Amino acid sequence: MSALSRRRFLERGGRAAVGLAGAGASAAVALAEDAVADTGADRLVEQAAAQWAMLFDSTLCVGCRACELACNTDNELGRTPDEIFEGRPAEDARALAPSVFTYVTFHQVEADPSTAAFGKVQCMHCIEPACVSSCPVLALHKTAEGPVVWDGTRCLGCRYCMMACPFLVPRFDWDSRNPRITKCDMCFDLQGQGKPPACVAACPSKALRAGTRADLLAEAHRRIETRPRRYVHHVYGEHEAGGTNFLHLAARPFDELGYRRNLPMRSYREYTKPAMATIPYVLGGLGVALGALRWIINRRADVAAGGHEESQP
Amino acid sequence: MSRPPTQGLRLTPGLAILLVLAVAGLGLIAYRFAFGLGAVTNLSDGYPWGFWIGMDILVGIALAGGGFVLAGLVHIFGGHRFHALTRPAILTAFLGYLLFIFALMVDLGRPWNIWWALISWNHVSPMFEVAWCVMFYTFVLFLELLPAVLERLQWERAHQLWRRVAPLLVIAALTVFTFAMTDSLGWTVAVAAILAAWETLMRTGVMARDRQMPILLIMAGIMLSTLHQSSLGTLFLITDKLGPLWYTPMLPLLFFLSAVMVAPAMVIFEGLVSARVLHRRPELPLLVPLGRALPFLLAGYLIVRVGDLLFRGVVLETMRQTLATWWWWLEIALVLVALAIFASPDLVRRGRGLLLGATATVLALITHRTGVAIVGLDVPEYGRYVPAWPEVVITAGIVALGLLAFRLAVAFLPIYEPELEPGTAGRAPRAVHDHLTATPVRVG
Ligand code: SF4
Ligand code: SF4
Ligand code: SF4
Repeated sequence: MSALSRRRFLERGGRAAVGLAGAGASAAVALAEDAVADTGADRLVEQAAAQWAMLFDSTLCVGCRACELACNTDNELGRTPDEIFEGRPAEDARALAPSVFTYVTFHQVEADPSTAAFGKVQCMHCIEPACVSSCPVLALHKTAEGPVVWDGTRCLGCRYCMMACPFLVPRFDWDSRNPRITKCDMCFDLQGQGKPPACVAACPSKALRAGTRADLLAEAHRRIETRPRRYVHHVYGEHEAGGTNFLHLAARPFDELGYRRNLPMRSYREYTKPAMATIPYVLGGLGVALGALRWIINRRADVAAGGHEESQP
Repeated sequence: MSRPPTQGLRLTPGLAILLVLAVAGLGLIAYRFAFGLGAVTNLSDGYPWGFWIGMDILVGIALAGGGFVLAGLVHIFGGHRFHALTRPAILTAFLGYLLFIFALMVDLGRPWNIWWALISWNHVSPMFEVAWCVMFYTFVLFLELLPAVLERLQWERAHQLWRRVAPLLVIAALTVFTFAMTDSLGWTVAVAAILAAWETLMRTGVMARDRQMPILLIMAGIMLSTLHQSSLGTLFLITDKLGPLWYTPMLPLLFFLSAVMVAPAMVIFEGLVSARVLHRRPELPLLVPLGRALPFLLAGYLIVRVGDLLFRGVVLETMRQTLATWWWWLEIALVLVALAIFASPDLVRRGRGLLLGATATVLALITHRTGVAIVGLDVPEYGRYVPAWPEVVITAGIVALGLLAFRLAVAFLPIYEPELEPGTAGRAPRAVHDHLTATPVRVG
């Protein structure tokens, strides 16, 4: 290498080094940004306190299924009362269908066969919903008010939301050419007009209530405290899957009432978060490592061959 | 040689079978679009994903992934002698990804909305990441394949232009990609600057260029592949429908390791099988050394796979009498068989042992991925999912379409390098004889 070419080499190397240093600096900025922008699960729970929520008290439910009828009417799901009241397809989330957003399940109490207990399945409106975090195009999203709603103009029909939802809630029109994802939207439109959800308004025994999550959660705990022998001491939805905007109270263990059990107490998004967080490191790391490897290996091969590398093809 | 080498084309019984399968598959696809997914699948609200996600997507993307490992080996790690294998691998990858996209359109309920993925970004969704990676990687593969087309057309000027523009396109693409994935300006600038720095080094001559392929193209291919091969595993981290032998937080790592492991196996498999079908001599002097990497890759995968079970304390699950358990044993057995074959030099040196080992490796990967996507699924409320026959026929039809496309491409494009000198290959005579007597009819 002549002195001239060496100087040029250094100059160019210097320019590239400045580029790499810039890259390093911006990566550092990015890291700092990430640390600040990270919305922790706790923050979301705090936000949810003021959001719309619902409370179902199984001990007050008489199993009349007026809520199902009201939901069917209000959402124009097209089923006749006969269809609603005749036959029982299943006593858990399997009863949901594109035309069934909510369903009252019926359970005989083993200790006392003459009494029945009821459960209610519908979308839980999770605080950090698995369906929302998995949807690639934000067709499902958690509104600022609390309900989780679906936007058909964006949905690809990939059904990842169905794979992700731990409550087995979203439904798909399997026999349609233009299938939709369907589920309860907590009567987003009705509530927007200041009215309660249709099912809540229809409930004759006050088993269903609407309000802010903070109020309903406090109310649920108050009920357990004042009638400790009436309830199992657990508010289903307070922590399940990271917490939900739909809370349930019952006299029997929840898994006896068709509720899914063994759910984790943290949001499902936490399971994909670590893997997703590695993406920029993989991009940046491979970007540096692959180029460097190639440079070193190539130069070594050239030196070994005793020739000067070709700089032009 | 006046023209780059291509392979002639004529109708054989094999091609006829492929044609029939392709037509049957396309017919059923038409039926599916007329009457909905329920009409051709056994999918349900409890099992919304099934055979197609398992085979077309998880398996398909891994098997087509060979391109990135080989490209890295040749252009980054200086394995230039393997160059003859890269073009077939890149072609397989490109066709594989096009097929995958086609299969995905069949599986999506509302495929006409797919363009929303471009503008409606959910950067916390693994599905969003996979979609973007696949889109960009297919573009990168297209750029990598272009020289073959330009050579065939003998467009020298376009070829020159490609050399200059391809790296810039890559920088632009990865910059947009990084922004979409991270939503962070800092990272976006960082990645763009890293790539631009390498390109500057090469344009100014400080760092040597690669004679055949812009290095940035190779780098982008590896970066995108690393991400989406592992993200196919990430997809399943959010679901609680998987049994303990199949669900593990290690899924992304396992998916990446198995994709890397199956890459050389797939190159060997394709090299040997296509040589037989096309009456060429297999490139044994290249395929055998490739096989030497496999014991390490297989052992690495096995250690993570089994170590993970030990670490999570679920080894006893392997003692239960369920289909999912048998499936797990099948996977492990296949890995062990492949390991045994590739670890014995005598077997590897011969074409047959090599083919057997490669087949076992590919089957092991298929078992693992179908385990995750089909067999390992367990939703107590919904019984079991067993694929319906049209699901299988549609997949077979799509694969047949791909093989036909590959056959057409090698008939018209210079994909294979001129055959090696006689004597350098292990068992040449029969193949050479076939090649000389086959007198292929040229259709182009
Ligand atoms: S219950 Fe399921 S569908 Fe409803 S918000 Fe939660 S994850 Fe989404
Ligand atoms: S099916 Fe639709 S709503 Fe569900 S994840 Fe896919 S795009 Fe989103
Ligand atoms: S909140 Fe509205 S949509 Fe949901 S179950 Fe009640 S009535 Fe139906």
